[in-house]
Amino acid sequence: MSQSLIHLLQHQAHRVPDNIAIVQKDERISYGQLYACICAVAAFLRENGLAPGARVGLLLENSPQFVATYYGVLAAGGVVVAMNTGTKSRDLVNWLKHSEACWLFADARHPELAAITTQMRDSIAYVIVGEHPNGSAITVGASWKQIQENGAVNEPDLSYSGQPGELASIIYTSGTTGHPKGVMLSHGNLFHNVNSIVGYLKLTGDDIVMNILPFYYSYGNSVLHTHLAVGATIVLENSLLYPHKILQTMEKERVTGFSGVPSTFSILLSRTKFKDYDLSSLRYITQAGGPMAPASIRRVIADLPNAEFFVMYGQTEATARLSYLPPDKLEQKLGSVGIGIPGVTLEVQDDQGNKVAPGEIGQIYAKGDNIMLGYWKDPQTTETVIQNGWLVTGDLAYQDSDGFIFINGRASDMIKSGANRISPKDIEEVIAELEGVEEVAVVGIPDEILGQVIKAFVVASPNAKLEKKAVMAHCRQNLAIYKLPKEVEFVSELPKTASGKVKRFLLADTARAS
Amino acid sequence: MSIEHKLRGYILENFLFTDDESALSSSDSFLEKGIIDSTGIMEVIYFIQEEFGIEVDDNEMIPENLDSVNNIVKFLEKKKAA
Repeated sequence: MSQSLIHLLQHQAHRVPDNIAIVQKDERISYGQLYACICAVAAFLRENGLAPGARVGLLLENSPQFVATYYGVLAAGGVVVAMNTGTKSRDLVNWLKHSEACWLFADARHPELAAITTQMRDSIAYVIVGEHPNGSAITVGASWKQIQENGAVNEPDLSYSGQPGELASIIYTSGTTGHPKGVMLSHGNLFHNVNSIVGYLKLTGDDIVMNILPFYYSYGNSVLHTHLAVGATIVLENSLLYPHKILQTMEKERVTGFSGVPSTFSILLSRTKFKDYDLSSLRYITQAGGPMAPASIRRVIADLPNAEFFVMYGQTEATARLSYLPPDKLEQKLGSVGIGIPGVTLEVQDDQGNKVAPGEIGQIYAKGDNIMLGYWKDPQTTETVIQNGWLVTGDLAYQDSDGFIFINGRASDMIKSGANRISPKDIEEVIAELEGVEEVAVVGIPDEILGQVIKAFVVASPNAKLEKKAVMAHCRQNLAIYKLPKEVEFVSELPKTASGKVKRFLLADTARAS
Repeated sequence: MSIEHKLRGYILENFLFTDDESALSSSDSFLEKGIIDSTGIMEVIYFIQEEFGIEVDDNEMIPENLDSVNNIVKFLEKKKAA
């Protein structure tokens, strides 16, 4: 069998066609039904001349349609560009143009769709999924319904799909106009990371996972692929806004697995009681996406003693996963992100690329078949993060004498808020556009629930009458909700180095102190 | 000032950062429209507890009670009648 996600899914569709692949509200989609939808998408794209390696944008919430489109694009030999649905049109249009996507599959209800069609016009072809609630039909492109009604006469020919070294997906991790960062993942990257995770989590077709993580990000993406690869069931809930609903569904569906980021667990621990629900079917819990307080981990395992708790660490540039802490070592090594997953080598190295001694702090370097091909159309930035075959993670850490890794901060300025890794530049670029702003710098400040929240320091032009509300309104209009600053402070100047670079660490210290 | 008016003012001021009444319909789903995130909903709960003198129990934090201005108005009326 060829080594790619679409081949794994095809195998499950033939092996267990009646097993349930996706559950969302009252909808239950079997592997056979899902595969038929995938074949219909692939047939449509091929009939409409999709060239091998051509990019297809996805602007869809987690749903059976997302999954069928993702795999349908792969089956047709295309490249998936799944975009953050919480993002505003300025980033979405930027990514569509940068990736040179020729198709966009978009939810008819997406609030930015009208702005996208206005800006992109006919430079891209559209497939509209679902209907607008007001019945105001989007009159561009094909409809999802029609594609599914047409179906596929034959299964797609997968003989040229999914070659290991070929590009399968681009994930955009930042949206600045000048330098959007699109992580290029190959079929081989996705396949190897999936296999490794399936192995250490011991996933089988009997597993049922509750997924609340967005599929357009690497963590949610790996939850999706790993469970489909083994014929398991994925139960979808798309928001943590109402956590009781999630636990009710987990109880009802007898889920065996649950994945979250630290803020997921903070919200569940503070607003619900696990003990009010029968969660005895839960076999594994995974946590990634930033450090989780040991006290919170202890509370989760005390309330859910039947489940194994996997602390994990990774990056989009590594497809998703780099390390995990085996649950039997959790108590002994609490605070560690563990060891390299099967097939991944991790080393802590100094600035000269030498491995440092146990206990000494350096930067985490990673090697393996899951390391990205590079950044799309950006060989210069690629060279800074892939050096001599190693991925330079930007995370500072030390290894103990048993080889377990303990993260000790980041070498870069990226802000980690909830599940999101945010480039300060994305926000600074937007605030700087506002009339009356002379300079701006953005930093992450500690937050009990989200890990970090965003604070903006703004220098107003002389005589400018700028208020916090105006800054926030402008941000609200142009930035995704998770990129909105929580605090805005007006300052007379920004601290800078002799060469004029803003000293963000000083601003972060000031923010923490206040 | 009606409950609906107070709630609308609060959401417009604190989540949409505007005085423009047309930016929010009382039937808009906070979740579907991306108006409020999972931490923002706690701020809304604190606001309605303080402003309207009620307690919101954990098991009342469901979309039927909280996911739009209209839903909150109905929820408050039900709480006050109880």
